[in-house]
Amino acid sequence: MSGGIGELVYPGNILKNIRSNKFVCIIGPGLKRNDNLPNTLIVTRVGTLRFESPNTYWVDSLQKRYIPKRGELVVGIVAKKAGATKKQKVNINVGDAVYAKLLNTYKEMEPELVCVDSYFKAGSLGVLSSEGFVFSVSLNMAHRLLSIENPLLRTLGKKYKYEIAIGMNGKVWLNCAKTVDVLKIKEAIEIAEKKSDASILNTCKKVR
Amino acid sequence: MIESSITTNRMDTSNIFEKELDLRCQFNILTRPNGSVIYCEGETTVIAGIYGPVNCKMSKMLSDKAYIEMNYRPKAGVPSVQDRFYEDIIKNTCETALAGALYPRASVIITVQEMHDDGQLISCAINAACLACLDSGIDMRFIFASISCFLTKDGNLHLETPNSKNDIQAVFVFVFDSVKGDVIVSHTEGVYSIDNYKQGLKISREGSKQVFKFMEQEMARRMKQENTS
Repeated sequence: MSGGIGELVYPGNILKNIRSNKFVCIIGPGLKRNDNLPNTLIVTRVGTLRFESPNTYWVDSLQKRYIPKRGELVVGIVAKKAGATKKQKVNINVGDAVYAKLLNTYKEMEPELVCVDSYFKAGSLGVLSSEGFVFSVSLNMAHRLLSIENPLLRTLGKKYKYEIAIGMNGKVWLNCAKTVDVLKIKEAIEIAEKKSDASILNTCKKVR
Repeated sequence: MIESSITTNRMDTSNIFEKELDLRCQFNILTRPNGSVIYCEGETTVIAGIYGPVNCKMSKMLSDKAYIEMNYRPKAGVPSVQDRFYEDIIKNTCETALAGALYPRASVIITVQEMHDDGQLISCAINAACLACLDSGIDMRFIFASISCFLTKDGNLHLETPNSKNDIQAVFVFVFDSVKGDVIVSHTEGVYSIDNYKQGLKISREGSKQVFKFMEQEMARRMKQENTS
């Protein structure tokens, strides 16, 4: 059993003839190394098999629960406060929305978030204004919104002035000058969730 | 006497495969769980939902793999001893199939609600649990499919509940994996001979191919729906 690129694969399918670059093959979500047979991969999720030249494989699957991955950007609400030292005062309160990066996500440990980059600068990360509005979209939609090709946010930008932070975990923080605009943009995103990429593109083209 | 019964059995096996199993399912019927399905096998119906991987209670936490919490709910009332037994069968099946090692210190909660029992309850519940897992996109080592095989008093084997339940002499429930087609679970009730069992296993294995095909078709349809909607 071995599915081709772009085909549906099911858990237990075995992929042979893996292309590697200098004996290295990068495997993404939905794939696992097959311990029983060297140089093969075993599929662990239902989805479409994808390949990116020269050596990256992954499975595009539907998922509703977010599983943290190192380096991803997430939006969240602070639930518990602990460990502020004199040197590093943390100016974050319980209930604040934050935009943070996952520093490490070893599966044996709790994931760790940071709001600074490697130069200890906040950049775009940090506490999000309490005037904003946090809502959830599906994981799939979050990925689509973050994709460069998706014209939705740019098109909305022509009509409304807004600030947005989209987390890979499906949480979105949105802020506008007017509350009405927040609701309108939220609605637009919710409608777009049920539309295909092509129809979003078509609708966006009509907006001038 | 024995010879004649064997010949009738053989004739029956060929008939069984011509018959399609009556399987139906609908995904995503509950909003709260990460994966859910309503699944029918003939008249038998169950709903299954799965949450996870989620944070685990300290007391239940396993340091090397995910803890699987299985809740089996009967049609009415609180779970009885029999229900706890079913729960254990489904739990063991899921534990072998899910790639629990990828989520240590987490728990996966699977709830199965019986809607109607027409004799194939265990296999229906196991298949529903599998479909719910597939729906949620949790990592699995393989797909599993379960099948009930009924031995009637006239010595025939059926993969569907016989019309008259008084004729049932024994029930075999098997679970197969999708990779090697190995038996994961074997559960039997009633009186039968070794020959009956072997033949039951053989036709169940054939029948399980139909279940696998059904699961793959339904998942393909679900993926397609999601991508075009």
